[in-house]
Amino acid sequence: MKDIMTGQERIRKAMRREATDRVPWVPFVGVHGGYLLGIAADEYLKNSEAIARGVGKAIELYQPDGIPVVFDLQVEAEALGCKVQWSKDNPPAVISHPLAEGKSPKDLPELDAGSGRIPVCLEATRRLRETYPEHALYGLITGPFTLALHLAGTNIFMQMMEAPNEVNALLEFCHDITCKMAGWYMDAGCDVIAVVDPMTSQIDPASFEQFVFPPVTRLFEMIRNRDRLSSFFVCGYAQQNIPAMCACRPDNISIDENIPLEYVRKVAEKHGISFGGNLKLTSVLSMGTPGEVEIHALETLEEGGDVGFIMAPGCDLVMGTPPENLQAVTRILADPYHREFVKTVRSAKVEEEVPDLTDHWNADKVVIDIITLDSSSCAPCQYMVEAMELAARPYGDKAECNEYSIKTREGLQMMSALGVKNVPVTVMDGEILFVSQIPPARNIEKAIQKKLRDKKLL
Amino acid sequence: MDELLENIATCIEFGKINTGSPFPPDMRGKKGADEYTREALDAGINPHTVLTRGLMVGMDKVGKKFRENKVFVPQVLMSAKAMNTAMEHLMPFFYSGDISAKGTFIIGTVFGDLHDIGKNLVAMMLKGNGWNVIDLGMDVATDTFLKTLEGHPGAVVGLSALLTTTMANMHQIVERIKEKKPQTIVAIGGAPVTQDFCDKIGADIYSPDPQGLLEDLDNKLFAR
Repeated sequence: MKDIMTGQERIRKAMRREATDRVPWVPFVGVHGGYLLGIAADEYLKNSEAIARGVGKAIELYQPDGIPVVFDLQVEAEALGCKVQWSKDNPPAVISHPLAEGKSPKDLPELDAGSGRIPVCLEATRRLRETYPEHALYGLITGPFTLALHLAGTNIFMQMMEAPNEVNALLEFCHDITCKMAGWYMDAGCDVIAVVDPMTSQIDPASFEQFVFPPVTRLFEMIRNRDRLSSFFVCGYAQQNIPAMCACRPDNISIDENIPLEYVRKVAEKHGISFGGNLKLTSVLSMGTPGEVEIHALETLEEGGDVGFIMAPGCDLVMGTPPENLQAVTRILADPYHREFVKTVRSAKVEEEVPDLTDHWNADKVVIDIITLDSSSCAPCQYMVEAMELAARPYGDKAECNEYSIKTREGLQMMSALGVKNVPVTVMDGEILFVSQIPPARNIEKAIQKKLRDKKLL
Repeated sequence: MDELLENIATCIEFGKINTGSPFPPDMRGKKGADEYTREALDAGINPHTVLTRGLMVGMDKVGKKFRENKVFVPQVLMSAKAMNTAMEHLMPFFYSGDISAKGTFIIGTVFGDLHDIGKNLVAMMLKGNGWNVIDLGMDVATDTFLKTLEGHPGAVVGLSALLTTTMANMHQIVERIKEKKPQTIVAIGGAPVTQDFCDKIGADIYSPDPQGLLEDLDNKLFAR
């Protein structure tokens, strides 16, 4: 099926809960971009050219509708004087908290577009904007609560209870930083500003409303006034705060596998906003097989529905996530026939017997088996069956065409007996020859003739 | 006596430290865990009773509420702070032998990982539950765990990791501990860790929350 919308249009419509031609897909490529280029995380995140190439590579491989430019929640903290420890296969970690060491916010360095690695992020955005004008670029900024924790350390949790005014003042400071970052990313060409605030998963709804709601709501308002889109990401178990997150009025909320998508869908619908997530990062995307990913993506798609849902991993992709696993997600979203195939195979009984095919083969003819979803509802299946029948006709009894629809028990048994993993597929005398694509008539003819010659029938 | 112990438990449960502490707002100006613990000891209540029927009852309640998502990290930290204040009054009795710890628990975030909120929470809950806790901090090497274990035979080891990449380091540490000291109970935890993973790497205890760990430890000790 030909895409009729650009990624940008698809994301914009999905975020407004309008109809789209298919569910949009946003792989949260962070240091995984470095993995695609064979570059370690500590090098990748300091180099705008590498980031642009890594994200570009991910766009080619995964055909997403939207993609983050940089996924690193330490950029602002580092520019404000927090020490970070670099790693080869993860974003850096903050290891010092200046506000816990006696400094006050006014002692921190003034943040501008030239601070720390901010120019790297903005330059990568500009490069990607130029090369990919039709994809939705996500500018990720550290949410005010997580930034406050970076700056002040975990004492902030107790200060919330013991000195709430001080914590509010700190969040006000962090709010100014988030507004600056959002503004720079929008100037550089981002379509969506994603406010990533994972540490809010650690607090209760009353604290969320008291400390996080005011700064974040104003930030989303600012983004809306500039006619850009916003998303609120939270990783971790944050179910208690989902209604409050929606009430901050982002265009979208995105969550991870800790929170049931069904619940988020319900709350987001009630608030009239879109939602995204929550593909399992480690157990499936990183450690699963492409087949497992397909089934998981299909289930996630079924839970998310087709209104206001954006398919995405739960959080930043594990650096070494196998590309074929992410391509499996793309396949489920972009290829309706393949989706139907996976659905049918999934619902089939696993204990299907594999039939003995000894009597199926015949020394006096070539046996052409076409495995289809079923040729009446799947156009490519129909064309493949017709092409085979047409090519076989001149050989009369010497060539036999059989269609096996995987919607039947016999079809499923044949599929497993022949080792077929896709539809439509043509198998000649047990050899898988044509997968998905309808081959030119000449190629089919050649294949039939070769099989006949092998049997000395030609 | 019962009233004093109940008051201690309530103060720990709700994170009321002392008369001057502003949290929780509805207990403002009232006595806290600090004052009630002192009063209990002055009234001649056995320190072990103060620990088990006062402090531990309060920590148990907050642990259960945390598990049920009724309270979150800030509230648990306030409870732990109240408990630490009360514990200061009890420390001399630990040294004198009037109170004995349930056991020693060596805890740390595995090497390569610099996240400690979860680890700190677990350490606090363990202390409040009568364990002698040795906190090795973050980014802890395998050898440091082994060396500490040498000095504390029979101690339980707890490993924390927040990153999927450092989970692999957890595997390495468990292997080395089991090789050198096969009898050691090793508990693991952290956001990406699962029971599956625990089984795979041969660790003994996994729990998604501190309360589960405390219960599992009690069961293991009982089994011993």
